[in-house]
Amino acid sequence: MLTQRDAFFDKLYKIAKNDRDVILICADMGAPSLDKFRRDLGSQFINIGIAEQNMITVASGLALSGKKVFTYAIMPFVTLRCYEQIKVDMCAMDIPVTLIGVGAGFSYDDSGPTHHATEDIAIMRVLPNITILNVTDNIMASACADIAYNYTTPLYVRLDRAPLPEIYRTSENFSNGISCLRSGKDVCIVATGNMVHNALEIADKLREHSIDAAVVDLYRLKPVNSESLLNYLKQSTMVVTLEEHLINGGLGSIVAEVIVDNDVNIPLRRLAIPDKYCYTYGGRDTIQKTIGLDTEEVGKRILKLFDKKKVKRLRKN
Amino acid sequence: MFNGKLMNMEDSISKEKVNYLKTKANQIRNSVLDMCVKAGTGHVTSAFSCTELLVALYHGGILRYDISNPKKKDRDRFILSKGQGSAILYPILADVGFFPKEKLNEFCQKDGMFGVHLQHDVPGAEITSGSLGHGFGIAAGMALAAKMNNEQYFVFTLLGDGECHEGSIWETAMFASHHRLNNLIAIVDRNWLCATDFVENSVSLNPLDQKWISFGWDVVNINGHSFEEIFVALHGFRSNKRNKPLMIIADTVKGKGISFMENQILWHGTAPQGQEAKQAKRELNTEGCD
Repeated sequence: MLTQRDAFFDKLYKIAKNDRDVILICADMGAPSLDKFRRDLGSQFINIGIAEQNMITVASGLALSGKKVFTYAIMPFVTLRCYEQIKVDMCAMDIPVTLIGVGAGFSYDDSGPTHHATEDIAIMRVLPNITILNVTDNIMASACADIAYNYTTPLYVRLDRAPLPEIYRTSENFSNGISCLRSGKDVCIVATGNMVHNALEIADKLREHSIDAAVVDLYRLKPVNSESLLNYLKQSTMVVTLEEHLINGGLGSIVAEVIVDNDVNIPLRRLAIPDKYCYTYGGRDTIQKTIGLDTEEVGKRILKLFDKKKVKRLRKN
Repeated sequence: MFNGKLMNMEDSISKEKVNYLKTKANQIRNSVLDMCVKAGTGHVTSAFSCTELLVALYHGGILRYDISNPKKKDRDRFILSKGQGSAILYPILADVGFFPKEKLNEFCQKDGMFGVHLQHDVPGAEITSGSLGHGFGIAAGMALAAKMNNEQYFVFTLLGDGECHEGSIWETAMFASHHRLNNLIAIVDRNWLCATDFVENSVSLNPLDQKWISFGWDVVNINGHSFEEIFVALHGFRSNKRNKPLMIIADTVKGKGISFMENQILWHGTAPQGQEAKQAKRELNTEGCD
């Protein structure tokens, strides 16, 4: 089954074939879809080795010389490892380099915390000038290649490693940064990335309990489309954020900031990875179950919020 | 590797040119001192160790640049990887005409256009720099872009020797030689001092030339205060058929020209004040800087 990176790189291949200034740099990272890029467009492909700091500085030098540069690695390595290079050489100079990270959240499940991308949203979104796109499905992944190609400022694209079902139509315009996939008046589940799929499943289960849940996909994490987000939030009684990212600084924090900064009085619960590293193995589902982020447990946690007294208290406070 | 001193005399430059450049270097050191004393800050000693190197590049006809079009496509790029050296680059950029010299009076001042470390939007500057180990990789990226586009410009970059402690320097060193970036010329300002100690006391870099050779670079050792040796090292660089990037290890003195600042650890990142500022000025203008 096609993955997000296949969809992204297939589109990038088509773009690069028509523009010799498109350069793809990888840090010793492969993908089936990269093979033909490397084979057919060898002069536009650089394997820079396991040297992510150099990858960013060289990319910036190429971009300053007019190239349209894409850098690719597993997510912690294309963000945390070379964070200061991203700050100084991309963001402080506002240079159009695109970071492509694969492995959102627990994508690299059994590889352990070194490969889990569970802090990157928090650290990347504080950088001025950068845009962050968290991809939900293959259609969005393909569209992101087009968006990135036309971007003139720093961009970070988060791709999931696992094959995920398609949600969007090919005609979808992703310029809004946010999409309401389902309306509902009782609770608005704001999710991002792979958790959008879980949120849709959870909304179905909640309906069996007569709870009308909205599902909002916040795929552009920076800059946030606050106006649309607030509009969706206000249509529900309470808000739940759902993400496969550490609790501090991720999607839940983003939504909380928007609520606070706009003086909106609405209860919010943040469902995310607890503040600790996860050394659980046995696959992504097992990890999610262990930390209470599987669809069943999340459904239960939301149901508990519908204790009437609790809702009343939340609203009052 | 070759040693600049061993080259024959036909590679040397005229005495008139050397004298002109020495006068210019002294004038630039004065500008640096005035600018930093007025601001009460700035990396004076880091600027004085690389003064001749930068004067040679900008005033000696080595770099190709166009002050009326700082972003001209075929310009040579000079990437100041040791970003604290902006204290020398700004006066030089002003002196060659990228912006009015009066702007130097605004160094680190409210509404001024630059501060202690290099800022990319200053006319003639290429990048923002101040965190070490970055500019070198950017320079390599620019050199690679020239290769890809079959453009003829050269990329020069200046590193500090303390900067060579950064691991990212060696990532770029491998990358540049692997891609045979013979349009990349790096200079290490080997002034033997980092911020708080002598480089060799903290983490030794010696033998520095052998390190660069083993990383696949052509290496030249020179006296970084000698215009003759700088020009020997760069003789014929545009037509040279080398297939490697070039590293010039320039032996220099941190704080060169001011007796009480030379080779002194505590003068890193500091501008003299009061009597010391007057003494520094006096030394620059009476004793020269040979």
